[in-house]
Amino acid sequence: MSASSTAARLDTAPKTGARLVVEALEAQGVEIVFGYPGGAIMPVYDAITSASFKHILVRHEQGAAFAADAYARVTGKVGVCMATSGPGATNLVTGIANAMMDSAPIVCITGNVASPLMGTDAFQEIDILGITLPIVKHSWIVRDPADIPAIFAEAFHVANSGRPGPVLIDLPKDVQVGVAAAPRETSPSKDPARRIDPLQLRRAEAAIGVAERPLLYIGGGVRIADAVNEVRAFARATGIPAVSTLQGLGALPADWPANLGMLGMHGSRAANEAVQACDLLIVLGARFDDRATGKLAEFAPHARVIHIDVDAAEIGKLRDANIAIAADLKKALSALSPHRPRIEPWVERCVRDNANYAARYDAPGDGVYAPALLKELSEQAGDAFIAACDVGQHQMWAAQHCRFPSPFAHLTSGGLGAMGYGLPAGMGAKLARPDAHVVTISGDGSFIMNIQELATLKRYGIALKIVLLDNSSLGLVRQWQELFFDRNFSEIDLSDNPDFAAVAQAFGIEAFRISKREEVSAGIARLLAAPGPCLAHVLIDPKDNVWPLVPPGKNNADMMHGEP
Amino acid sequence: MTDTLLIQIDRSEGSLQRLIGLIERRGFHIDRMTVTDTGAHREVRVGVRGRDSGRCVQVLSRQIDRLQDARRMAPSVHSDEVASCMA
Repeated sequence: MSASSTAARLDTAPKTGARLVVEALEAQGVEIVFGYPGGAIMPVYDAITSASFKHILVRHEQGAAFAADAYARVTGKVGVCMATSGPGATNLVTGIANAMMDSAPIVCITGNVASPLMGTDAFQEIDILGITLPIVKHSWIVRDPADIPAIFAEAFHVANSGRPGPVLIDLPKDVQVGVAAAPRETSPSKDPARRIDPLQLRRAEAAIGVAERPLLYIGGGVRIADAVNEVRAFARATGIPAVSTLQGLGALPADWPANLGMLGMHGSRAANEAVQACDLLIVLGARFDDRATGKLAEFAPHARVIHIDVDAAEIGKLRDANIAIAADLKKALSALSPHRPRIEPWVERCVRDNANYAARYDAPGDGVYAPALLKELSEQAGDAFIAACDVGQHQMWAAQHCRFPSPFAHLTSGGLGAMGYGLPAGMGAKLARPDAHVVTISGDGSFIMNIQELATLKRYGIALKIVLLDNSSLGLVRQWQELFFDRNFSEIDLSDNPDFAAVAQAFGIEAFRISKREEVSAGIARLLAAPGPCLAHVLIDPKDNVWPLVPPGKNNADMMHGEP
Repeated sequence: MTDTLLIQIDRSEGSLQRLIGLIERRGFHIDRMTVTDTGAHREVRVGVRGRDSGRCVQVLSRQIDRLQDARRMAPSVHSDEVASCMA
């Protein structure tokens, strides 16, 4: 018997559901699965010991979902995470919600109790399909092992097509151990090709041609659509100034004079004032998030709106569009060819404001000034820099002051704002891009939420670098209590934090402390040069605030400013 | 004012729950609903009403369009209508 006929015979031999899961993941080209075993997923774990992909054993299922999310954001491929039933599945939920809010394509696989036990409150039984309905693009309970190849193929397609997002596949235990004599053929989904309405394109070109103060409003859709080159070409060709959302940072080079930076609550003054003054807002893969718009009714009050987004449901959701182009951003931008508008006075004004309102780094004293440290971190790391941020003041400082070579270099929990994202996200990003300087930028509140993943870094030798900005408090909450709650400081004190460097060392990870400004440059160099995982525990002033700030409920022109 | 939507959904697990959850989560009351199983699919006729003046049934319709297992049986929204909630 020839080798090929043997392979063919083996391929059609009866297989367990668990084996079919492994083969389905291999068929999708999966390289890494982040997961944690348990009773109801044991047959799959039994089968993956011979899989061609690598399994990364995290120390909490939330870490698996965040790592898969970051892997997906960095690569543009689908991330995969896996957990058992009950608490394993519910521990994934925050990560799934995070992926949904930020449109990250992940496939989440959960075990469940055997089908006859489902609905009986069995041990570790939970209705994970029901729990996650609002936070997935789609989900399946597999009822027949023969359906596994087709469901997995569809799941990967759904996760990464159109506007990406998370999907969930729930596998009852009897389906994992059951044998499928003849797995059903996969039938790849076909999306109807969406035609870009040429009339809308011509209307957009005409609107750009007559605008006196046009402005690009760049969102996370630019990264997701892999449209960075197209956006840069469009900005160069038209000369139109630009602002970015948190997720859009890096789409344009930081040193482009008319790149006004981030808009919104912690946006730059130049960006927010440009939005309030513009007469045409060209929205590229953004969704008018409230952190970006401030008081929506007073946002960009003089502007007509061109809104381009692959998700038609985002158009008109919060702000009516005068010209709507529901299409793939990459294709839509390639199809647009406006004349260069005559907007020199407007561009000069934007560039001048950008220079006049540029951030200062001459804070008094000799303590570490976090904005300056983060700026230098990104500059020392250069084009290889990828930041995986947690949530809080450090996240906003990173957004304001780091130089991101592309939007793929800035991983941040934008929609959900999930503390604890940074460490597992950095882990997933570093595994996806071992050649890059991947740095988790965290705070003392966020870091401890998934601190257990230091064990994962150690086990697999993942050379993630960590900058832990420690202000001994929940800084962003403290800042709001100072400014908006009459300094009634409630439950924000973390002055009894552990010695984070000692904690990291106990996990077997190199760590050191930076407590003075003069130590910053050498500390960053040491961190980036470390061959393995390394943590820099940075002590900063608990009283430092993030400036500027648009108070909640105010319009973006009402910015508060502080001293550096 | 109640708007009536006619939607075809798959008979897969969770499809009805997914549709109802979406409508309520996006800020609409369900005033009435009938579900007819045609064998191959289910047809859902649902009357919806926004909880406040900021809710737009055209936006809801496009959110329903995103569901993998649901198809609106009304004509698809025209691109001009996409532009505005007021259409």
